[in-house]
Amino acid sequence: MTSTLCNLPAKPAEEAQKHRQQYEEMVAQAKKRELKEAQKRRKQLEDRCKLEESIGTAAQTWNQEILPNWSTMCTSRRVRDLWWQGIPPSVRGKVWSLAVGNDLNITRSSSCTDLRATSQESAMQRLATRGQPQVKAQADKLYNICLSRAKEKWRTTAAPAPEPETEDAGSSDRESSLELIKLDISRTFPHLCIFQQGGPYHDVLHSILGAYTCYRPDVGYVQGMSFIAAVLILNLDTADAFIAFANLLNKPCQMAFFRVDHSLMLTYFSAFEVFFEENLPKLFAHFKKNNLTPDIYLIDWIFTLYSKSLPLDLACRVWDVFCRDGEEFLFRTALGLLRLYQDVLTCMDFIHMAQFLTRLPDLIPGEQLFQQISAVHMTSRNRKWAQVLQALQKDPERGSPVLKR
Amino acid sequence: MAKQYDVLFRLLLLGDSGVGKTCLLCRFTDNEFHPSHISTIGVDFKMKTLVIDGIKVRIQIWDTAGQERYQTITKQYYRRAQGIFLVYDITSERSFQHIMKWASDVDEYAPEKVRKILVGNKSDEVDKRQVATEQGIKLAKAYGMDFFETSAFTNHNITETFTRLAEQVLAANKKDLDLLRMSVNDEINLAALEEEEGLCDSAAGDQGKGCWC
Repeated sequence: MTSTLCNLPAKPAEEAQKHRQQYEEMVAQAKKRELKEAQKRRKQLEDRCKLEESIGTAAQTWNQEILPNWSTMCTSRRVRDLWWQGIPPSVRGKVWSLAVGNDLNITRSSSCTDLRATSQESAMQRLATRGQPQVKAQADKLYNICLSRAKEKWRTTAAPAPEPETEDAGSSDRESSLELIKLDISRTFPHLCIFQQGGPYHDVLHSILGAYTCYRPDVGYVQGMSFIAAVLILNLDTADAFIAFANLLNKPCQMAFFRVDHSLMLTYFSAFEVFFEENLPKLFAHFKKNNLTPDIYLIDWIFTLYSKSLPLDLACRVWDVFCRDGEEFLFRTALGLLRLYQDVLTCMDFIHMAQFLTRLPDLIPGEQLFQQISAVHMTSRNRKWAQVLQALQKDPERGSPVLKR
Repeated sequence: MAKQYDVLFRLLLLGDSGVGKTCLLCRFTDNEFHPSHISTIGVDFKMKTLVIDGIKVRIQIWDTAGQERYQTITKQYYRRAQGIFLVYDITSERSFQHIMKWASDVDEYAPEKVRKILVGNKSDEVDKRQVATEQGIKLAKAYGMDFFETSAFTNHNITETFTRLAEQVLAANKKDLDLLRMSVNDEINLAALEEEEGLCDSAAGDQGKGCWC
C-alpha cells in the first residue's frame, strides 16, 4: 500500500498521501466493524446465558416447588403465568403427562394371574378401565401387551397373502393401517432424520403407533397421529409417551377429528368462525369473499397439533399451553396466527392464502406469535368457547352455511 | 396492468396414500423431488400458469391426503374441481385396485362434466412393478380416460400429464372459451363469465393482485 510496484514510476507525494489516508480510513472502518461484531457476539452470548439461566431457574422452580405439589399448585396464578412462558424442556414431558392426565386409567390389573388366565383382549380392557393409581411398571405392562399384539399382526401380514377381490372398504382401511404406519414413519419430521429407517427413534415410533391400533382398534391409525406420537417420544420415555398419546387422543376434540366425525368437526369449525369474526372481522370478511373455509387450514393444524406446521420448539410451546387450557387453545392459536399474518393475508387471493396457511413461513417469531395469541379474546357475547361450542352442538343449524352441502 | 391469466380452474389429485401425489405435484410446479416427503394431512395447494392455445391458464392444484379415513373430508372438495387425477403406484396392486373406488366416488361427488385422467406413477421402479402398463391402458379405456405412466423421480411424463388434463378441461369448457376469445381483453366480461359459469368463484379476488403473485 505504501509503495507501488518497482517497475512503475513512484507515486506523486500528494497521491501517496491520499492513498495512505484512504487505507487508514479502511482499516479504521474494519476495526469499527470488528468491534461492533464482537459487541454483538458478546450481547448474543449474554442473552443466551440469561435465557439458559432463566430456563435453569424455571426448571428448578418446576422441579422443586411445582411438581412435588402438583395438585395444589397447578391452577395457581403464578404457575399458570410461568406455564405460559414455556415449560423448560427438562420438565416438559413430566408436566405434559400430569396435565394430560390419565382418565383412561391405563394401569395393570391387580394380579398377574388374571393376565395369564384370560385372553389378552379382555385383560387389556380391564387394564384400560380399572381405576388404580398409575404406576410406571404397570404402564409398561399394558404397553407391552399391545405391542406384542401389534408385532404378532406385523408377522402375519408380512407374509405376502393374495388380496381378496371383494374386501369391504372398512376392513381394508384397518388392514392397511399397519402398512400405512410403516409408510408414514419415514414421512414424519424427515428433516430430523431420527424417525426414518435406521434412525434412533424409528422403532419406538413404530411400536407406539402399532400398540395404539391394538389398544384402540375402533380408532386405528389415522394420518397425523405419527406427528403427535413423535413429539411425545421426543419428550417422554416410551411407556409414558404411550399413555400420554392414548389419553391425548381420547380428548373430545381429538376423538372428533381422528374418528372424522364430520358433523362434530363442522361444529368445531363453526365455533372457530364465531371467534374469528369477533376477533378479526375484516380478515373474516376477506376469507368469506374468497370462499376460504376454515377446514382448509384447520384440519392440518388440529390433526397434528401444529407439530407439522410450526417450528418444533414453537409447536412445543403451543402444546404447553394446550395442556394447560385444553382444546380452546388450539383454536386460539389459529386465531393468533391469522392475527399475526393478517396484513399479508388481506392482500392475497384464495390460492395464495391457502398455500400460505398450509405452509407457514419457516421463520415464525415466537414471542410475537404468543403476543398475538394472548391478544385474542376467547369470549363472544359473554360466552366462552365451551359455551359457544355447546350451543352450536345443540343447534347445528346455526353453523357455518359455507361448510354445509 | 397485464392480466396474469385468462382462465382459472382447479385440479384435484386423488389416490391411495404413498402413491406419490405430492411428489408428482412438486415435480410439476417446482421441478423438485424429495424421496422422503412429509405426509399430507387434509389438503395442500400449489398453482402454476400454463399457456395453452395462446390462453393463459392458471391451475390451482389441490393435493389431498390419501388415507381412506380422510375421504369424508376430501369428498367435500370434489365438487369444486374441474379436473381430477386418479393416481396409483405401478408397484402396488392394491393402489391400482382402489382406483375403481376412487372413480366411483368421483362419479358420485364431482360435477358431471369433470375431466379425469389415470396416472400410474413410479414408472422408474421397473423391478418392483406389479401393475402392467396394459392393465392401466385397459382400465383407462373402460372409463374413457387418458392414461399416462409417470415418474416424479426421473421427471417422466409429468408436464405431459398435467398439460393433457388442463387441455381437456379447457376443451370441456369450450363454449365459455369461445366467448372468452371474443372478449379476450375484457376483464369485466371474463370475471362475470367465470362467476356465472362456476368456472371460478374467486376470479375477482384473483385478478391482478400485486403481492405474492
